[in-house]
Amino acid sequence: MKLSPWRKCAIGILSVALINMGVSGVASATIVDTATLVAVDREADLNLVRGQLDRADVRAQMEKMGMDASAVDRRIANLNDRELHRLAADLQNAPAGGDVLAVIGAVFVVLLILELVGVIDIFKKTAPAH
Amino acid sequence: MLSACVARGPLIADSLAPGARASIDLDATPFFPQEKHRCGPAALATVLVASSVSVNPEALDPLVYIPARRGSLQVEMQAAPRAFGRLSYVLSGDLDSILAELDAGRPVLVLHNYGLPFLPRWHYAVAIGYDAASDQMTLRSGVTRVQRMSARHFMVWWHNGGRLAMVVLRPGETAASANAKLYLEAAADFERVASPEESRLAFDAAVQRWPSEAVGWVGRGTAEYRSGELTAAAKDYAAALRVDVTSVGARNNFAQTLLDLGCPRSAHEQLQPIETDNLESPLREMVLDTRRRVEAASHTSPEADPKSCALTN
Repeated sequence: MKLSPWRKCAIGILSVALINMGVSGVASATIVDTATLVAVDREADLNLVRGQLDRADVRAQMEKMGMDASAVDRRIANLNDRELHRLAADLQNAPAGGDVLAVIGAVFVVLLILELVGVIDIFKKTAPAH
Repeated sequence: MLSACVARGPLIADSLAPGARASIDLDATPFFPQEKHRCGPAALATVLVASSVSVNPEALDPLVYIPARRGSLQVEMQAAPRAFGRLSYVLSGDLDSILAELDAGRPVLVLHNYGLPFLPRWHYAVAIGYDAASDQMTLRSGVTRVQRMSARHFMVWWHNGGRLAMVVLRPGETAASANAKLYLEAAADFERVASPEESRLAFDAAVQRWPSEAVGWVGRGTAEYRSGELTAAAKDYAAALRVDVTSVGARNNFAQTLLDLGCPRSAHEQLQPIETDNLESPLREMVLDTRRRVEAASHTSPEADPKSCALTN
């Protein structure tokens, strides 16, 4: 029997959902995975549901962005629910590191400006929320 | 204001931990000159190979490069090492922790922004050394094998890049500057994809370094459970409960392990104090499930647990 792409997609999402239920692979045993314990501080309950929605969303976005389907599956499988949620939000606009600025000389001008406009607080120890 | 900048003292000397070396050059760190827009795969390959993973930037391309964005996103850069049996640990946003990792012999992947607020130029590079006397950092960056820059410039670009710095850890290593909570989060993420053996190493390191953290004991217990070492698992879950008597996850897993060891009554005792009404999903459903299983076993087994059950309590 040949599976339609929709059916394949549904099977994929369901398998990932099952794997992510937090149930171990051991038959008829309920071991809570450690991520569930850590997740108490991380809006845990929402993540599970939201994660499944994000998976479909991220997959669609990535394919639209020119990545091939098999690579997309591998990428998504590597992320936890929290990371998927972040990726769904980041894909279009978050900083994507790519290249060194060609004209490194211009950077010194930039630096000067930054120091003058009060980036002095960069030398404080605390990190910005990111 | 400019004079104020000049008056500020050296950054590296001020940020070094007591006893740290004044100068480090991790010259054995590999170098992968980047292809166009592909500093992400190149920087990631640099830290992975330094952690003895056999990989190259081309192999990482399909995991972290986004053609339409001509670059790589932080979230995927952070997740990728797990696919190669490594934990990724994001450092706290200060120079101290970068220097501490370098002093421990570990190159540090950083995100720089060389542009202006309205014209950002994001770039991943790898810090491989520092020199307190000249107040300079050394990096593998782009197509430059050894790039030196003043610590002050490094800080400005790093700050504008959101102060992302991460290291790659072998299972069993903890970062020099690691904090228990962040490490345990990284280890829990690792557990999802790691083998029980790798997972055990990762949590074993946590147990050694932070014995008062229950999550570390639970993680090691679960790795043991998954490799079929039930007695060792039961001991670790019990240790977790000694540290944190309120850990429902530890209690549930302890009960399940006792049940598997043929001790349904001891398992029942463990589950007794849990008030499932107050629990969130999916923990609640899991505890109820374990409870059903334990009750079913209690009905079909002898009156008392065998003597061996007492050993694990």
